[in-house]
Amino acid sequence: MSERAQRPPAEVRHADELARLREHDADDRPPGWALSLRAARRFILGDDALGVSRKFVGDASLIDRSLVALATQRGLMLVGEPGTAKSLLSELLAAAVSGTSTLTVQGGAATTEDQIKYSWNYALLVAEGPSTRSLVAAPLLRGMAEGKVVRFEEITRCPLEVQDCLLSPLSDRVLAVPELTGPESMVFAQEGFTVIATANTRDRGVNEMSAALKRRFTFETVFPIADFDTELLLVESEATALLRRSGVTAPPRRDVLEVLVTTFRELREGQNARGDVTDRLSGVMSTAEAVSVAHAVGLRGWFLRGEPGTAADLVACLAGTAAKDSPEDLAKLRRYLERRRHGAQWKALYDARHLLPG
Amino acid sequence: MTVTFLGVRHHSPACARLAADIVAAVRPAYVLVEGPADMNDRMDELLLGHEPPIAVHTGYRDPGRRHGSWTPFCDHSPEWTALNAGRAAGAELRFIDLPAWHPALAGVRNRYADAEARYGEATARLCRDFAVDDADALWDHLFEIEPADGLAERLAVYFDLLRGDTEAGPDDTAREAYMAHWVRAAAAHADGRPVVVVTGGFHRPALIRLAEDGDRSWPEVPRPPDGATARSYLVPYSFRRLDAFDGYQAGMPSPGYYQHLWEHGAAGAGRLLVEAVVARLRARRQQVSTADLIAARAAADALALMRGHRHPARVDVLDGLAGALVSEAIETPLPWASRGPLQAGAHPVIVEMIAALSGDRTGRLHRDTPLPPLVHAVLAVLGEPGEERLDLGEETGRERSRLLHRLRVLGVPGVLRTSGPSPAGGAELTERWELTDSDERLPALIEAGAYGVDPQEAAAAVLAERVPGADLDELAGVLLDAALCGVGELTGQVLDDLARAVGRAADLGALGRTLAVVLAMWRHGELFGTSGSATLGAVVRATAERALWLAEGVRGGPAPADLRRIEAMAAVRDALRHAGSALGLDTEAALGVADRIAACRDAPPDLRGAALGLAWTLRGHAAGDPGRAVRGAFVPATAGDWLAGLFALAREEVLHTAGVLELLDELVAAMADDDFLVALPALRQAFGFFPPRERHLIATRLTGLRGGGTSPWDLMRLDAAPELVAAGMALDERADAALRREGLIP
Repeated sequence: MSERAQRPPAEVRHADELARLREHDADDRPPGWALSLRAARRFILGDDALGVSRKFVGDASLIDRSLVALATQRGLMLVGEPGTAKSLLSELLAAAVSGTSTLTVQGGAATTEDQIKYSWNYALLVAEGPSTRSLVAAPLLRGMAEGKVVRFEEITRCPLEVQDCLLSPLSDRVLAVPELTGPESMVFAQEGFTVIATANTRDRGVNEMSAALKRRFTFETVFPIADFDTELLLVESEATALLRRSGVTAPPRRDVLEVLVTTFRELREGQNARGDVTDRLSGVMSTAEAVSVAHAVGLRGWFLRGEPGTAADLVACLAGTAAKDSPEDLAKLRRYLERRRHGAQWKALYDARHLLPG
Repeated sequence: MTVTFLGVRHHSPACARLAADIVAAVRPAYVLVEGPADMNDRMDELLLGHEPPIAVHTGYRDPGRRHGSWTPFCDHSPEWTALNAGRAAGAELRFIDLPAWHPALAGVRNRYADAEARYGEATARLCRDFAVDDADALWDHLFEIEPADGLAERLAVYFDLLRGDTEAGPDDTAREAYMAHWVRAAAAHADGRPVVVVTGGFHRPALIRLAEDGDRSWPEVPRPPDGATARSYLVPYSFRRLDAFDGYQAGMPSPGYYQHLWEHGAAGAGRLLVEAVVARLRARRQQVSTADLIAARAAADALALMRGHRHPARVDVLDGLAGALVSEAIETPLPWASRGPLQAGAHPVIVEMIAALSGDRTGRLHRDTPLPPLVHAVLAVLGEPGEERLDLGEETGRERSRLLHRLRVLGVPGVLRTSGPSPAGGAELTERWELTDSDERLPALIEAGAYGVDPQEAAAAVLAERVPGADLDELAGVLLDAALCGVGELTGQVLDDLARAVGRAADLGALGRTLAVVLAMWRHGELFGTSGSATLGAVVRATAERALWLAEGVRGGPAPADLRRIEAMAAVRDALRHAGSALGLDTEAALGVADRIAACRDAPPDLRGAALGLAWTLRGHAAGDPGRAVRGAFVPATAGDWLAGLFALAREEVLHTAGVLELLDELVAAMADDDFLVALPALRQAFGFFPPRERHLIATRLTGLRGGGTSPWDLMRLDAAPELVAAGMALDERADAALRREGLIP
């Protein structure tokens, strides 16, 4: 792996933590696993004693259930809104369970079985005929042969018939390569093989999966961060780090961030803390988006006026991220900003509402 | 002298077992239990041999404050087992906490809530360290499913850690000082024999500290102040109600599960939980296959193993079941991952799981128990079966009506209203009731006795319980019942719940209807004494604000006029006009909304007209140039619907602002014939908002304007059906077109 990679995979980013966990791992490991379940959990949820950082903010029980599902021969299906860190979680789980997170299929309308199972080196195929030499293994075949976790991102974006090629690997644990003869024509899954799929509920959703395939997965719904303070803390730390990297020395203001996170949460849930039903934006209002807005707010404040961003900057940045190009969302956002509330920053937000473009 | 301090979690089976064991082993002179000290002389009544769950209900009333609270006991309550074991060992039994009516417990509805939840910092830290979701999972992990050895020491360490350096609030400090006084006195009077103190673990460290020195005489039991009444009675209780406390009132959840844990141990409780969930799901015709059950069992065992539990704990079983039975995305997070009530939209399987956890056991009092005062209060005045006719014009009739309504709200069988006034139907002043005898009456009254000591208090409590989760119609029903029962003001939490229920409403028309009724009751409810009621005022305010919010969200462009939403806007206008200053409604914000709707091209025309009318009528003479606004907003194709909204809201202003009628005449006259025919039905509807006298005024002014010789009456009276006129006009139009085509007319 080159040192200059923008984002190395999890097992490289956290190689030292994984090594320490392996070294201190006294518990039994499921066959084919790189770590025990408890060590895998510590890898994701953090362990101060071993200097392992917390990498996923969410319910601890979600991690427990996911690991158990992986250990009990069922696939794991992570579903949820966009931006809830499903892919990050799937990457961390794969890195913890099999030490590699790169056996990944990215689902899409154009995904074919070739990209999932195997294809051929056509020059060799023509020259030598079908053989293991001319076979080009795709993630599923490699995962089965090596006993590793295969990640399938955005599985519901694939056509149904393509999704269904997972059926026999998941139920019979075998993949047929009919072009080959003899024992090589059947690839049996080695211990440690399993599939983590992700799907987001905004796209076509899991309803379009066949019942047969659904039955082979344990479903785990990943929710946006439930706790306001936790989300605020996360947004604050991430935005501060981003701003520092962009050369902004002033940290974001806490009260402005509170307004920002509240706004995002209310527009995401379609209700406020008291439970009043309000508008829900059709755009993605994830924590990740909140961080990027906080970043933009800080940039505006610093480079335009040399101070931390204010509520007025927030209004100006919201249109681009929250409403994107949807006029309905823009109208909802405008209606949201028209509400008056107590607090200096809320007042500033209200006073700046005309800054919303359009 | 030795004092054993046992810090427990209320309703914890592990603690209950420990408390009984310690008392039996130590054979103390005194068993001191956290509980209402004013019940001390009624200990025999408490230990008559009831079937838990039961509760001590305390009702308090003085001129400034009303409060009802419960002290609940189950089989697996440490307080309950300590008292019973103490009685068996011949110990003196004492409750040592302040009475439930005491101001230090003013905010408490459930005495046995988790005190540490009020000081959450340490718990959150522990949850993070043990990698569990919440305090309940942590508690199971540390205590309920662990073997019992060393439990007392572990509890002490746990609660010392929770308490840490936390400074308790003034209320908890007062209670701890009082409890410590009892401990000192008991220790001094025990003649060297042991004393066992069973209290919430959060209080234990403070009690140990405070019990060292101070006054050693028996403390006095506080008496209610003059002019106040405080009564405590034993009532049957239920797991469902025990599990319904939330927020700071919440104690240990899932009493049904812990009852199994108490009776059958952790392994048995897990098995029974799965059985109960499956039985419930199958009863609802949800498919649960054997393969699912195997998967659930395997997952639960694996989770238990991973989390280091000997047997699957509550969350292990639940997590396993959820993984096996839910195979789709769920809308709300799993409820056992965070404390709080079940959210709307929870997956049906999850709902059944929570119901199975709660259990449905209800308690029974021993037959020698004194009946709750409610029973006496009702039986004394209920009277013989038969029909009754009440004259609501007289105070005696109203008084009797209120009593019967309270019983109806309490669900007492054999009390049926056959006719009487309703909010929609005029001023009927008689009410008919049918009273029948029923064997169910006494049990129902005893159960209702848990809600309060007299029918009024009990009915108020029942109505308050109906508010959370109610939709608009149910809410209107609650408010009407509150008026009929004469329960006076609903306060505090209930008002918040009311506002929250309104905040969930999504139908503008229904909201408008509610607003109109509630506003009418607030303004003219003399008969039921609801005029100017603060409860109704709060609902008016919340409803008007919500209606404006919803109105601004209606989109979709041209659509036929919707009378229900026009009426909703009219109701908002009335609320702002008649109650705006009294209730502090934000007229400025309302004007802002109205202006935006009036100018919004996507809003339906009737709503735009109504919004223009709302702004016009609210601003009155300060309304700038209405003629300009009318001209700007008039679109021929949707003119009829738009006018319907405008007229409904600002009839007077249209009639009495100079030039507006003439302007409308000009605009309508300038409409193309096609447009006019399309708009005709809507126009007729729009002018229908004017009463005949005003229509005559319009006609007079129009004939004056046109200078024609016709009488205004001719304009208003039409011998032919309007459809016929329209058909005739269409025919004229076709004839004109034909003539024009042939060049016969220009």
